[in-house]
Amino acid sequence: MTSTETRHTVHRFDDELNEIAKLVDQMGTIAVQQLRRAVKALKKEDPARAHKVIRRDRKLNNLDIEVDEKVIQLIARRAPVAKDLRQIIAVAKVVTDLERTGDEARKIAALCVRFHESDHHVPSDNILRDIYSMSKYVSVMLEVAMQAFSSLDIEKAFSVLLMDEELEIRFDSILRHLSTYVMEDARNVGHFVDIVLGIRALERFGGHAKNIAGHVIFLATANDVRHLDADEIRQLLDLEEE
Amino acid sequence: MTNETQRTIDIVHAGLRKRYARERRFRLMGLMAISLGLLFVSILFLDISLKGYTAFQQTYLRLQVYYDPSIIDPAGTTRHDDLAFADYAALVKQSLRTVFPDVTDRQDKRELYKLASPGAGQALARRVLADPSVIGNREEIWVLANDDVDMLAKGKIDRDAPEDVRRLDDRALAWIDRLEQRGDIRKQFNTGFFSSGDSRQPEQAGIAGALMGSFYTLLLTLLMSFPLAVGTAVYLEEFAPRNRLTDLIEVNINNLAAVPSIIFGLLGLAVFINFFGVPRSTPLVGALVLTLMTLPTIIIASRSALKSVPPSIREAALAVGASPLQTQIHHVLPLAMPGMLTGTIIGMAQALGETAPLLMIGMIAFIVDVPQGVTDPATVLPVQIFLWADSPERAFVERTSAAIMVLLAFLVAMNLLAVLLRRRFERRW
Amino acid sequence: MTSVSTVIDSENRDEIAPVSAGDRDGPQDGFKETVGDIYHPRPRLTCRNVDVCYDNGAAHAIRNVSLDIGEMEVLAMIGPSGCGKSTFLRCLNRMNDTIDGCEVTGSIRLDGEEIYSKDLDVVPLRARVGMVFQKPNPFPKSIYENVAYGPRIHGLAANKAELDEVVESSLKRAALWGEVCDRLHQPGTGLSGGQQQRLCIARAIAVSPEVILMDEPCSALDPIATAKVEELIDELRKRYTIVIVTHSMQQAARVSQRTAYFHLGNLVEMDETDRIFTDPQHQLTEDYITGRFG
Repeated sequence: MTSTETRHTVHRFDDELNEIAKLVDQMGTIAVQQLRRAVKALKKEDPARAHKVIRRDRKLNNLDIEVDEKVIQLIARRAPVAKDLRQIIAVAKVVTDLERTGDEARKIAALCVRFHESDHHVPSDNILRDIYSMSKYVSVMLEVAMQAFSSLDIEKAFSVLLMDEELEIRFDSILRHLSTYVMEDARNVGHFVDIVLGIRALERFGGHAKNIAGHVIFLATANDVRHLDADEIRQLLDLEEE
Repeated sequence: MTNETQRTIDIVHAGLRKRYARERRFRLMGLMAISLGLLFVSILFLDISLKGYTAFQQTYLRLQVYYDPSIIDPAGTTRHDDLAFADYAALVKQSLRTVFPDVTDRQDKRELYKLASPGAGQALARRVLADPSVIGNREEIWVLANDDVDMLAKGKIDRDAPEDVRRLDDRALAWIDRLEQRGDIRKQFNTGFFSSGDSRQPEQAGIAGALMGSFYTLLLTLLMSFPLAVGTAVYLEEFAPRNRLTDLIEVNINNLAAVPSIIFGLLGLAVFINFFGVPRSTPLVGALVLTLMTLPTIIIASRSALKSVPPSIREAALAVGASPLQTQIHHVLPLAMPGMLTGTIIGMAQALGETAPLLMIGMIAFIVDVPQGVTDPATVLPVQIFLWADSPERAFVERTSAAIMVLLAFLVAMNLLAVLLRRRFERRW
Repeated sequence: MTSVSTVIDSENRDEIAPVSAGDRDGPQDGFKETVGDIYHPRPRLTCRNVDVCYDNGAAHAIRNVSLDIGEMEVLAMIGPSGCGKSTFLRCLNRMNDTIDGCEVTGSIRLDGEEIYSKDLDVVPLRARVGMVFQKPNPFPKSIYENVAYGPRIHGLAANKAELDEVVESSLKRAALWGEVCDRLHQPGTGLSGGQQQRLCIARAIAVSPEVILMDEPCSALDPIATAKVEELIDELRKRYTIVIVTHSMQQAARVSQRTAYFHLGNLVEMDETDRIFTDPQHQLTEDYITGRFG
């Protein structure tokens, strides 16, 4: 997570930070997996897989709690300052976001269960295609955000912020796209709400990835970039125009 | 791991006995050293006390004296001068003759007269001068016995020794026995020892002169050396810059403390007496020499007392805006004072016991009068001891020891005072 | 006793900008220039290019330090042992004068007045710039005498009643009055460590100084006593300018508005305390405050 060229005089401090970093990494991996597996269940029309995803979310929740506990202990015992303080605060926020992404992934899995376990009729692949493409996009976002987090790469983190702007545009166009489906075929109205909720969940998933990227920038530069647009951030961080 | 700890413990245990044995041996050696020291000190003290305690008693003779006007005041003037220079020894002789009317031989008479001290006549003179009305009367009076009688009374002359090696011959022994039978010999507390000056006659010799000499000398030494030494110490320790010159001064002060004291005597003789013309044999010149001698001691003690004042006190005073001098006077000196006083008293004790330099400046002179001021010729206690120890009379042995006892008492008292001062003024910070 | 030579660069006299460290020689250990903000809008003490040498130049304790100490602020000076922070603090009321072979160059001004100029008298200077030391060092006298000493030697009180008043108000401001008012004439050394340190603070403020220098005032105190002294510092800030040297970074963070980080005699970084402890600019500062030093 951090590239500390020098170690703390108290080596145990480093060990504790690394331990927490490892857990966060693990959570990131699980969150991405969860989304991919949920989407796969949807594709394969396999509610059993979806149930598995829902059950696995509990693991993410437990990890969240575990990391929070460790963060509190570390603050109490080591009184971190400067970079250490930012890192520990960033970790606490990142795990909250990661836990939320898990929740969003669970919503996708729940969608699968809803479609395939009741006597609902199954929505057409056309409608679901948007979910597939968007899920691919947001999982990449989270992956990149987590990479940025572990290597403290500001450029990568910034690219996630740009991806989020793109995501918002996509989200709007998908909503318009879906509404045309509803107008074409009134039978689709039943799914419309479910699909929109799914899309919304993916949009939130991407939003959490963006938050994580923001935490990375805070951690690396001590600048709070929430509620700023890309140009302002670029200026603040002195980044090259792509 | 456990194995290794076990082994360590075993090794420790194996060596433990040896270690403890060594410790016990060391303690035993220390104990022995101390008891040996104590033993010698107590032997010394015991020896001195045994020899000296008898000096605090003195043998007196009772004489029936007829203050014969024809001897004391044949002209009947009753003038003081006439009375003072009368032949009082004749009165003593007369009364002795009346006790032993059977002694007629000239030789024997002379021996008989020796029973009373030459001081006996002076005692009668004092009696008459104090109250001239006794002239013409008969009176019983206790006078000093001769030192040989005194020695015999104190059992220091062996009656069984052959007559020719004895200080008193058989005749004298018989007279003394007679007197004793009549109750005319007694011992009483020797006030003369503390109230009179030196004398060739042991029974008349006292330490008053030496005590007063020591007192004046020490007083002057204290007045001169304490302010000088404290001033020097404060300047060197607190104000002087550290450079070659002050280093040199410091080294020299330390060396002065180790200079044999007789050198200071020579210096005093050359500088104070021959160059400045300070009267010799006086407490003044003695004090000057002793001041030179005790200065290094007091300076060194004062400097270490100053050093032991924590610098934080100086910083505290300076930080509220006290000037360096205020810092010294208000804070550092009061804290260093117990140490300085201790050093001073130790220096004074050293000065009190010093003999060698005083020999060089004439304080060894035989002086009968008790000095009345710092420019009167005087001697001091240790020199008095030295003088008496050199005298051949048997009776001076006990006086030497008694004087040593007095000197030791003063030294102990001064050291006690040093301890008390330190206790009293020492403050915690 | 003193061998402090004072060199004030005449060119520098009216110039507020310090000479940059890059122009100077000597080992710098990764240090180029002070980062952060050394200036204060309302400076009381302005230090420019201060250099301190011990042993007549053999040991360079402070290298080219320039900083402002503002009105009614607490400036904390932190840094590893031997970094020169205490030395620098002692320059501010010329306590270094008492050390042989200590040489201070550069300019330190109190309200525009050069304190190292030849015609400045250190006695009134020390009345204006008080000091509290690492180890509580009350005089071995009564509590009353400890506080009254400064006003007495400076003649600040006309009579006994005035002196009593000064003692009482100083002890009150040092938050000690309630604990000692019934035993003013008992020795000050009989108090607890924390009380002694507050007594020393009372002694320092009894002469109404303008600046109070504190050299690790809590290093010998337990946490409760430390908290009391810290509370006191916060209270005193309303009247005095305070400069505090501390080994405890937490303490610096708690009591100060601005923080200066010293390293090997250099002023590495100086900034708002909030900034120093969340986002230090210099790697040395960061390493030190996060415990990665050495």
